[in-house]
Amino acid sequence: MIALVVMRVLIGWHFLYEGVAKLLKPDWSAAGYLKVAKGPLAGLFQSMANNQDVLAWVNFLNMWGLTLIGLGLILGCLTRYAAIGGACMVLLYYFANPPFIGYFSSQATEGSYLLVNKNLVEIGALFVIAVTYSGRYIGLDRIFYRLLRRRRRTVAEQELTGAAV
Amino acid sequence: MSEKDDKDLQETGSDRKGIDRRDILQGMATLPVLGLFGYAVHKQVSYENAQVAQTLGTAQASNLKEVNVALLGAGAQGQVLLDAMLKCPNVRFRAVCDIWTDYNLKKVVNILKKYNFNVNGYEDYREMLDKEKDIDAVVIATPDFWHSQHAVDCLKAGKHVYCEKEMSNTLEGARQMVLTARETGKFLQIGHQRRSNPRYKYCYNKLIKEAKLLGRIVTVNGQWNRAVQPDLGYPKRYEIPADKLKQYGFKNMEQFRNWRWYKGLGGGPIVDLGSHQIDIYNWFLEANPVAVVASGGNDYYSPETREWYDTAMVVYEYETPQGRARAYYQTQTTNSSLGYFERFMGDQGTLVISESDANYANAIYREVTAPAWDEWVQKGYVTAPKVVEVKEEKTVLDVRESVSPDEHKIPVEFADLYHRPHLLNFFNTVRGLEKLNCPSEVGYESAVTVLKVNEAIQAGRRLEFRPEEFEVS
Repeated sequence: MIALVVMRVLIGWHFLYEGVAKLLKPDWSAAGYLKVAKGPLAGLFQSMANNQDVLAWVNFLNMWGLTLIGLGLILGCLTRYAAIGGACMVLLYYFANPPFIGYFSSQATEGSYLLVNKNLVEIGALFVIAVTYSGRYIGLDRIFYRLLRRRRRTVAEQELTGAAV
Repeated sequence: MSEKDDKDLQETGSDRKGIDRRDILQGMATLPVLGLFGYAVHKQVSYENAQVAQTLGTAQASNLKEVNVALLGAGAQGQVLLDAMLKCPNVRFRAVCDIWTDYNLKKVVNILKKYNFNVNGYEDYREMLDKEKDIDAVVIATPDFWHSQHAVDCLKAGKHVYCEKEMSNTLEGARQMVLTARETGKFLQIGHQRRSNPRYKYCYNKLIKEAKLLGRIVTVNGQWNRAVQPDLGYPKRYEIPADKLKQYGFKNMEQFRNWRWYKGLGGGPIVDLGSHQIDIYNWFLEANPVAVVASGGNDYYSPETREWYDTAMVVYEYETPQGRARAYYQTQTTNSSLGYFERFMGDQGTLVISESDANYANAIYREVTAPAWDEWVQKGYVTAPKVVEVKEEKTVLDVRESVSPDEHKIPVEFADLYHRPHLLNFFNTVRGLEKLNCPSEVGYESAVTVLKVNEAIQAGRRLEFRPEEFEVS
């Protein structure tokens, strides 16, 4: 369980800084990234970049999505939702520049990838986090869970006593 | 114990009811990570800020004398200069002047207030000169036809002046500016900002003069191509009253917004765009031209709203210290292909330079017949050549064809606001630390060179320059 928490915190840190770094740059925009998208969904990503209204939303969701997911993973707060949300986001990044056979990345990369790249590895790791309960071991979820459970039990006990009476 | 409780025990270590100390501790165990994260981000941000401060030269700012500045003309170009000036150390803004009081003036005054400059806004520059006695320098970014009067009055009021190019739309106006600068002994810098650009200075001083990598420059070509653009509009509720527009020399709001295209107010694209680059021709060739032929016209836009030529193609003849040279320049406003650059072609090499970081520009190519540049690569004057792979079986060079030359990059990064070095040169000259990179005499030579193009298009024939045309006496 400790190992899962460590992995969760590391991934959370990665997300949080990706988000915070963008928030700190007032002129940051996903437009450049989207415009050079490759692969089967390239058209979709490029159309996002070309529509100013859509782009504004994409930028907003990206910056705050990364930041909040990062916080969630580090603190173990709503861990499952954070992990699933994070996996979906990274999946979009994966498809924006997929290391498919014959494609070359339009972004500078520091390694050699075929089908599997670091994005996909991160998705895999987030999947593990989503199906385990590391937040209930170390994380705010533990407190939430306890609170909810206590309430549920009390209600259940009351019902039980009520039924007895 | 149910299966659920079993799982619960595994995850949280107990099936107790309620929250105990252990739950709180384990629940918040990762909180310190956020503290560490905050510390790391703080360190990173300070590092980045220090890097920026270093490139901006604000580190040694405290030693610099403060210069009190007024901005005259707060439109699009005035705001470009403002952005650059806000990154010049120890510049104190005192006043802003613009006739579009409800819009540009208000906007710029508000920006400056955000930067803690307590500036006064004026509509009339004479009132500003009367009231603001502390101003050392005025930065002028008004329409071309106002430059001469504004600059002359500011100089006479004892202010140093940075005036946007084109220094005037008439040579008489430009002449008065040079004469007044001489009489008053005040500095007058003309806004040909490439004159202070580290990359241009490097190419001229190091590559052309010292290493002589181009050999003898025989031909030059350059361009500024722009995509189709609609006329500039304006928010209806901020329309300037007709009588006020008239007072300042404009027929209507459309003309006020698009003055660059009107005869008598501006000079059209050849003057707005071309003058920057043709100024570099004169500089790098170390000569003023002896003749010009030009073709141009209102080929695309309606001459009703765009009186000046939307397309111009120009050939200058030069007699340089090294011999004769011809220089081609084109500007068109209907297709932006390849943007803007200048290309100097000598018998030993080609220099393609641009103010922008376009990837086809800012490189130097060695002619295959020229002596090797190994020495200059080793000294770091140019980068090692980019190896161009030739697929032999497919490419068979004809004996009459030349092998394509090696491409070397110019090792000068310039990631700054384009106008900042030129403004900094002006402020440092006012402080007595530097000499102007584009004093009014140089701006005048450039104005003579460029304004002749419109004349040549109108005349439809080759026009010659007399050497004395470039002098002011």
